[in-house]
Amino acid sequence: MKFSKIAFVVVASALVWSAFPSSLPAQNVDAATLLNPPADSWPSYHGDYTGKRHSKLTQITLKNVNQLTLAWAFQTERSPTIKSSPLLVDGVLYFTTPDNVWAVDARSGQLIWHYTYPPNKGDHIGQRGVAIYKGWIYFASPDAHLVCLNAKDGKVRWIVEVADVNKGYWTTEAPQIVGNHVIVGVGGDMDNLQTFIRAVDPETGKTQWQFDVTAPAGTPNTATGGTTWMAGTYDPELNLIYWGTGNPTPVLTGSTRPGDNLYTCSIVALNPDTGKLVWAFQPSPHDTHDWDAIEIPVLVDGPFRGKQRKMLMQASRNGYFFVLDRTNGKNLLTVPFGPVNWASKVDETGRPIPNPKKEPSPDGVLIAPDEGGLTNFRSPSFDPKTGLFLVDAHPSWSLYFAKPADGTYGWAGADYGLWGKGVLEAIDYQTGKIRWSHELGPGGSGAGVLTTDSGLTFTGDAHGNFLALDTANGKTLWHAGAGAYIASSPITYKLDGDQYVVTSGGGVLFAWKLPSTSR
Amino acid sequence: MQRFRYALLLAAGAGFFLFQAKPTSVYAASSAPAAQAKDGAIVANPGSIAYENHCAICHGVQREGILPAFPPLVGIQHQKTDQQIMDLIHTGKGRMPAFPKLQGPELTALVHFLESPALSVSDSAADEGAHSSAVHASPLVDAGKALFQQNCAFCHGRDAMGGETGPDLTRSKLVLADVKGDKISEVVRDGRPEKKMPAFNFSSQEVLGLAAYIHSQEAKAASMKGGRRGVDVADLQTGNAALGKEYFNGAGTCAKCHSATGDLAGIANRYEGLQLEMRMLYPRGVKSQVVVTLPSGTKLAGTLVYQDEFVIGMRAKDGTFHSWKTRNVKFHVDSPVDAHVELFPKYTDDDIHNLMAYIQTLR
Repeated sequence: MKFSKIAFVVVASALVWSAFPSSLPAQNVDAATLLNPPADSWPSYHGDYTGKRHSKLTQITLKNVNQLTLAWAFQTERSPTIKSSPLLVDGVLYFTTPDNVWAVDARSGQLIWHYTYPPNKGDHIGQRGVAIYKGWIYFASPDAHLVCLNAKDGKVRWIVEVADVNKGYWTTEAPQIVGNHVIVGVGGDMDNLQTFIRAVDPETGKTQWQFDVTAPAGTPNTATGGTTWMAGTYDPELNLIYWGTGNPTPVLTGSTRPGDNLYTCSIVALNPDTGKLVWAFQPSPHDTHDWDAIEIPVLVDGPFRGKQRKMLMQASRNGYFFVLDRTNGKNLLTVPFGPVNWASKVDETGRPIPNPKKEPSPDGVLIAPDEGGLTNFRSPSFDPKTGLFLVDAHPSWSLYFAKPADGTYGWAGADYGLWGKGVLEAIDYQTGKIRWSHELGPGGSGAGVLTTDSGLTFTGDAHGNFLALDTANGKTLWHAGAGAYIASSPITYKLDGDQYVVTSGGGVLFAWKLPSTSR
Repeated sequence: MQRFRYALLLAAGAGFFLFQAKPTSVYAASSAPAAQAKDGAIVANPGSIAYENHCAICHGVQREGILPAFPPLVGIQHQKTDQQIMDLIHTGKGRMPAFPKLQGPELTALVHFLESPALSVSDSAADEGAHSSAVHASPLVDAGKALFQQNCAFCHGRDAMGGETGPDLTRSKLVLADVKGDKISEVVRDGRPEKKMPAFNFSSQEVLGLAAYIHSQEAKAASMKGGRRGVDVADLQTGNAALGKEYFNGAGTCAKCHSATGDLAGIANRYEGLQLEMRMLYPRGVKSQVVVTLPSGTKLAGTLVYQDEFVIGMRAKDGTFHSWKTRNVKFHVDSPVDAHVELFPKYTDDDIHNLMAYIQTLR
């Protein structure tokens, strides 16, 4: 009896430990998972490669959404606001703030592990989330390093430098996995720096290719800048990644950088295996207002004025909504989606052309939108059924100044917001007309947008209320106060038969679901 | 056999849970290719070697600290005695580990090193392109500067003279009035939610450092005089006051609500420059009035405190706060400041400059 007991323990322990790796099969996110994410996952920044932030899930409906209730809340117990979009893989949520990664059980909201990056002098302005591939987490640090962690326990596998923090680079981006590439970008527009998009080997962290946005710093009469701080999208059929680039530097003074300043404030289409540029479209030629074009390049297949198209849509920070043919970058539509006063015309290629009189001046010019833009990095959503592109808009006015004493390095000017508010705009993608607007409050909301096949839109308002709206008309169907500023985009997934919606407000992550009747 | 299987499953489950539930905080400082090592001018003496081996990883190569987690050690002799420093090294404190093996000459050399003056740090990115010199005013300013670069520079600029979204702090009246952080600390700790400035949970010492840095930049900016970047009062004098007056009384519709001899009399004595112009275009913080009609027909008037699409809150004249679900009451909000918003699309830049010239005559 005694012997058999001991034998049992030994055998059992052996089996437990040997059974370990196979008990966590699905943390093995591979290329196929990323191409066709299962309903019980949200394995990349946008949930899928299209950037539509639209889910096929329909358990939560127009009729029952008013019963939505809190499943759990996770407190980071830290003051930084969550600006990341969580990933959900195998029942585990991964999300971030600068220097911090949390792995949380999606069923209970309990902590599984927490990784803290060492103190560093990088800019801690924000962190958008992680990427996951084959059981490894990829995380960008404030001091511009890429960190690879074991998804099981948060242990460091390797850390590589992406760019030199001492030159003024930082990173906030959620890396994007495409094939065997971890694609990373950089931030840093307080200095005149050349920026880039880089593919890194997921196993070793070694650079595979690099696309430089501008000529090297110091090249006469050219811009630097064009930071690449948001995860792009991917079309596997065309084998192209689409990436937005940021504003040129010096930021508010364009005198030392005549011309369009390619490829700043652009949407670039690159071959993900080589980094070679296939086409580019520039929403803001010669920007002098800090309007990054990094907003999500949303990929939609559908009719455009009678013809079936492979499209790319962007509601850009400069105030214009663009529809492009994503096979070649040709413009199909350019329409402002709120007050815009800085362009003299839209040229024949669909680019708004800046009015020189609206460049920052010594005595100031009145500009709409403000420097935060008519929208910013938080995700819009595309709803296929209604053909609506839903975006958190920020109608706003500001004063822009620049004078010789401001120099031609870094910011090189000053701008002051006068007034702004938040409005969720539902844009008809074929005309650019706004079908409905939902006021979100003074100042503006920082919430992204999620839509579902059941006709629901999830977002948040300027007061910190999470909102569920009817996608058809913008009417409010449910709300809950977060008690803090909302600065992330919602996600949804199905787990154990329940559809969850995960949102964040301040430093707290909230999971919502319908009340369970069976358990 | 069935039971055995069941037990196995249980054991496997428990093992899985134990494994998954173990919270791990991983510090990877040693594996990170630390950038600090590059600019560290290390003098080869036993104290600096001991410091490099045991302390630099957290407190920085040049004792500058890595805030907010790790305090700077420059100037430690003004805060602690030799004995206190040695005790701290031996016992550790909070997240600082103990170093009981540090004894004898090595310990003495380390304490001497800790009490030596700071090397001047060249902080490339922080000063590049700015007019500042690389010489540091004081350890407090240095500590504040490090904290400022991580948490404030994105909005207020590296030199605190304005950046993305955030105002030029060196021209701020609040900064001007601040003494050793008494005003600044409030803003830092409470944030300015209405302007989307977050609150920061810094210690008193950290806030002191921040305030010291901001004041050092204020002094630096003041010494730059005409060559100073940002918006000077002199920059805003391009308008024509006569045309501004015409606009005020005519197309601008300002006279509908305002009077040069009434509410705006002497306005240019109270505000100047950019502050006056911004206030002219949109005065922030103006209260709206609300009248709420209850289902009973009773009317309540007060100052609007809160309004979203679900709840309306107001403060009555006697100071009492009331709130209602918006669907349960009727209400009318009187918000004359909205007229400023309606003007935004109508102004030309000349209108604004002329109006500014006129408003500046109202003394």
